[in-house]
Amino acid sequence: MKPAAPLLVLLPALVLVPVLLSLPGLSHGGGWDLIGQFAWAALTPCLDPLVLRSVLEGLGVTVGMALLGWAVSLGLGLALGLLSSRLIWRQLCGSAAPAELIRRLLALPRSIHELIWGLLLLQLVGLQPAVAVAAIAIPFGALVARVVSDLIDALPTANLEALRAAGAPAPSALLTALGPPLLPGVISYGGYRLECALRSATLLGVFGLGGLGNELLLTLQSLQFHELWTGLWLLLAVMLLLESGVGLLRRRWGMPRRLVLRAAATAPSAAAATAVSDAAGGVGRSGREILLLGVLLAPTLLLVGKALAIDPAALLQLQPLPPVAPQGWSAALQLPWPSLITSTLTLTLLAAGLAVGVAPLLLLLVAPWPWGRRLLRLVWALGRLWPPPLTALLLLFLLQPGVITAALALGFHNLGILGRLLLEGSEATGPAAEEALRCAGAGPRLALLYGRFSGLARTYLAYGAYRADVILRETVVVGLVAGTGLGSQLRESLSAFAWDQLAVLLAVYAVLTLVGEDLSDRARRRLLGTA
Amino acid sequence: MDGPSTTTITGPAAAAEPLLELQGIEVNGRSQPRLEGVSLRLWAGERVALLGSSGAGKSTLLAVANGQLPPDRGTVLWQGEPRARRAGRRRRQQARIGTLWQDLRLIDELSVQQNLNAARLARWSWPQALLNLLLPLESEACAATLRRLDLDPALLNQPVTALSGGQRQRVALARLLRQEPLLLLADEPLASLDPRLAEELLALLLREAEAPRALLLSLHRPDLLAGFDRVIGLRAGRLVFDRPRTELTSTQLQQLYAGSGERLP
Repeated sequence: MKPAAPLLVLLPALVLVPVLLSLPGLSHGGGWDLIGQFAWAALTPCLDPLVLRSVLEGLGVTVGMALLGWAVSLGLGLALGLLSSRLIWRQLCGSAAPAELIRRLLALPRSIHELIWGLLLLQLVGLQPAVAVAAIAIPFGALVARVVSDLIDALPTANLEALRAAGAPAPSALLTALGPPLLPGVISYGGYRLECALRSATLLGVFGLGGLGNELLLTLQSLQFHELWTGLWLLLAVMLLLESGVGLLRRRWGMPRRLVLRAAATAPSAAAATAVSDAAGGVGRSGREILLLGVLLAPTLLLVGKALAIDPAALLQLQPLPPVAPQGWSAALQLPWPSLITSTLTLTLLAAGLAVGVAPLLLLLVAPWPWGRRLLRLVWALGRLWPPPLTALLLLFLLQPGVITAALALGFHNLGILGRLLLEGSEATGPAAEEALRCAGAGPRLALLYGRFSGLARTYLAYGAYRADVILRETVVVGLVAGTGLGSQLRESLSAFAWDQLAVLLAVYAVLTLVGEDLSDRARRRLLGTA
Repeated sequence: MDGPSTTTITGPAAAAEPLLELQGIEVNGRSQPRLEGVSLRLWAGERVALLGSSGAGKSTLLAVANGQLPPDRGTVLWQGEPRARRAGRRRRQQARIGTLWQDLRLIDELSVQQNLNAARLARWSWPQALLNLLLPLESEACAATLRRLDLDPALLNQPVTALSGGQRQRVALARLLRQEPLLLLADEPLASLDPRLAEELLALLLREAEAPRALLLSLHRPDLLAGFDRVIGLRAGRLVFDRPRTELTSTQLQQLYAGSGERLP
């Protein structure tokens, strides 16, 4: 008895059962009037010039932080990616051992969420504009490095060997043979990371690191919903503009889609094949455009850096830190570890199940109505944009804090990301099978389930597995608000300057994330049949 | 190979209403109409071949017939009634019209049995449709359908990707039969098959198209017309002829293909 592909897509939605069952117990009765006001304010955002100006300023800072953090992470990631590529070390000195070592070391910055980096740097160097940029650049750089090195190691080496055999020295042979086929994958992934950077910059703002996020939080806490929506709608416009711009360039330049890239990161030969074949069209034109954009980027970044008064040197001036508390390391071991870890893992599983399972469920629900998809697109866009801690705060109007509340907030955010991917995937699957079922009289929902979900089940779930591992890293974000898991403990230790506790917490977090990453890698490989 | 005998009764004597009636169908295209003023009636028990060179409008006509493409002008009547507007009724109508697609449109990720049962979705409830994805349902009926088409019922649990080309062809036909349609539509089902497979499939289709069923099949090989009762010729979106096969002349066939750049086989 093995569930067939379309059923697999729906299985994660089973987490809805415990979540829905526990909601009545969690509800504290009040708060519906506030939610009503919040929803109504969506239609009547505040258009006061003063508010608009301050929102626009905040938005500018957020976009600037995102852009700078992204650019630094890309440069950092490319350099580290080259350094951690097995292929390159093998060509240069005959052994891949240094690559393995660097890969292991990079796992640490990658496993720590940008928010923790931000708060950590905040404690170390004080409130500096450069903190947010560095907080984005460090983990993103390590992520880009991993993808770049995976891409390099997955490229076919025949060309390289031919050049080497013809006597070309290693560096120039590497550049000639690997540069062009690498570019599409890097650009496509880079575009995706820019979208992530915008979301992260907003999130960091919520925690006081500058920009629009902070205003969103303040207006929410002071119940100024009309002003809140002014910021949200503008942020939504910027995000959709960015996403469609990135998508447009990706299509124009013939770069691989994200779903392909994700699937490909574990299926090396396919990745390289797609990248190469996609890049074949219009190399000259797109090459010039990429170059032009790259050239324009540099002065833009300098201007943004100047406008935000970024001073990288400030990151090196450490503040005097209070000493470690006298009871020392034994205090760190006194923390309730089993419950901290269990609640973090429960939170991850619930949020991942909600995000992965509810997206197809909603798509099925609206299948009969043409406007349904448009509505879903909007809701999902709001989910992506809305930082999870703000959702958690909104939910606290209705629910008591706890794992379920945190999971709902985190699940909603990731639902926005997975839902968009599911829609893209279902459009790429092609209508033939669904159409055939419709013609045979099947209803729109069943035709979608059998006809489309069958084909995209495996790639979608593989992406879901990857997302679950991102969600584990993100638990810290809602943990800080909803009072659950390692995240809330982390916040406490941070503000108490309990460096010993903090070190142990970070280590535990890193281990959990790395184990999670490994599990999700295995799941992905099994789903894609490339074990 | 000879098809079954052609003693089918055509015309109003056979039944009160034709199964399918098209009246003055027009479908707009980019530069010229894809179908223009096409009217025809299909009666239960008829086996009708649709001839024409590529681009003549055969696929468009079939898409109008199976409800996939609403015509820009004209009326489609199913058993004397216009196409239903209400979703449930429309689906019951659709369930009686079965299409054999040229690309088969089997669902690769599902087993043979699940694919056969996909044809029952119009009649099934949600729980049945979901359960079928866990424990394939109605095994006996599926096995009987496979046997009817000379396939081994042991194939039921196989994924469709494990089948040979000929087996896939027959499984697609089996799915069509599981739908229990009254009208069988087929768009060039023989085009990409080798001659032996093509003749086998055609014989099966002709056999399954006995009254109360009817068959409308598009074709561009006039040498395979033997088993059909009636032949319809389409050219540039217009009906050129519609007559019993026995009355078809070679001049008519030549006119149908003349100037199209395609030669008669």
